[in-house]
Amino acid sequence: MPDEDTEKKAGFLESAKSILYGLAGHDMTRYALKTRGSMEHLFILITMGDLLGIPILPPYYSLRILPYVVPQISTWKRRMLRERDLTDALA
Amino acid sequence: MSLARVFEEQPDRRYIMFGGKGGLGKTTFSAASAYWLAKQGYRVLVFSVDPQASLSDIFQQDIFGKGAVEIMPNLYAQEIDADQRIREYQDEIRAKILDMYGMDQVPEEIENYIQAAAAEPAMEESAIFDAVVDIVVSGDYDYYIYDLVPLGHALYYLSMASVYDQWIDKITALRTEMEEYNQVAAVMQRKKESQEDAILRELQYIKERINKSSGILTDRVRTAFFFVVIPEEMAILDTKKAAGLFARYSVPLSGYIVNRVIPETLAQQEIPEYLRHRLTMQKRHLATIERELGTDVLAYVPEMERDITGLGMIEKMADEMFGGNEQ
Repeated sequence: MPDEDTEKKAGFLESAKSILYGLAGHDMTRYALKTRGSMEHLFILITMGDLLGIPILPPYYSLRILPYVVPQISTWKRRMLRERDLTDALA
Repeated sequence: MSLARVFEEQPDRRYIMFGGKGGLGKTTFSAASAYWLAKQGYRVLVFSVDPQASLSDIFQQDIFGKGAVEIMPNLYAQEIDADQRIREYQDEIRAKILDMYGMDQVPEEIENYIQAAAAEPAMEESAIFDAVVDIVVSGDYDYYIYDLVPLGHALYYLSMASVYDQWIDKITALRTEMEEYNQVAAVMQRKKESQEDAILRELQYIKERINKSSGILTDRVRTAFFFVVIPEEMAILDTKKAAGLFARYSVPLSGYIVNRVIPETLAQQEIPEYLRHRLTMQKRHLATIERELGTDVLAYVPEMERDITGLGMIEKMADEMFGGNEQ
């Protein structure tokens, strides 16, 4: 049954890929996304700084960007304003 | 060279600006030039970027915040209402947020930010210059005459534009780098291409707008910038200083117009001592202007016997500036 063979082979390859991804790629992906997340917060800081009382971007233009960062604003503020403590080491 | 010849010989210069200290006659010259050009058959828009605009006063017609208003055939005037523009802009941002996230109302924190941003002092200047881009980009007119704000504001805007420009470059670079991390993650997870970054697109739009508005002020091909000066010591010194600063920002200077010259023929008449002193003083300052600005002076405009308001007086002023309509 060549079809069944191909299917089995494909299934095996798929699992192998996933295992390989789990072993090597997953951490890198996590790192990439985490770095991106930090940069996102940095970006919001320099565009929406006035929300924390740090005006950086001319407000006329920061308003243009505001709609795109609405969902991130609360997590960003939490991150920027929280006090540093021991748990930071675990983050 | 005369003012009329400058316009004749440089037909590509379609953005006309008069700069100078406050109260020297920028609005008067803007209106008179607009009148003269309109009489030549060009479609002209004279507009004010000054929050304390006086085009309404000079044309004796309320045009504030009403868009381009026809004053006479070919001549349109506009006073930008910065507050109204800011309000419309805020509403646009609110509508976008509601639309993007299907919300019924803008979250309180975001709303507070929108309101606070409008109170920033730079907001008004940015809104006005952004409005200017809209006006000029529409390209409905042959000539655009800017009734500029006093010099300091224009210089402030030019310096602000270059800072904004560098700033936008920096955050665009940051945004691009973020996009790269996104793509790395997408490749690892074997996802299809990540979504196009809408923020990056906005940043590029902002950069384009800033460059466009400051670019008009410094466009050597299409912009003619005239300085207005009067024969008084302080005005001459200030104008020279400002001309130096403008040159540093590459604003193309087309020449000077000397305003409020008391007619020297008065000296032959019976005049009070006070006026005679003024005339002596003026002679000295005119000599300074002649010596230091020389051939860059395009017109000497006499002090008029009464206020320049209404089309009749504007026509008289245009005759003095351009030497009548004979060309």
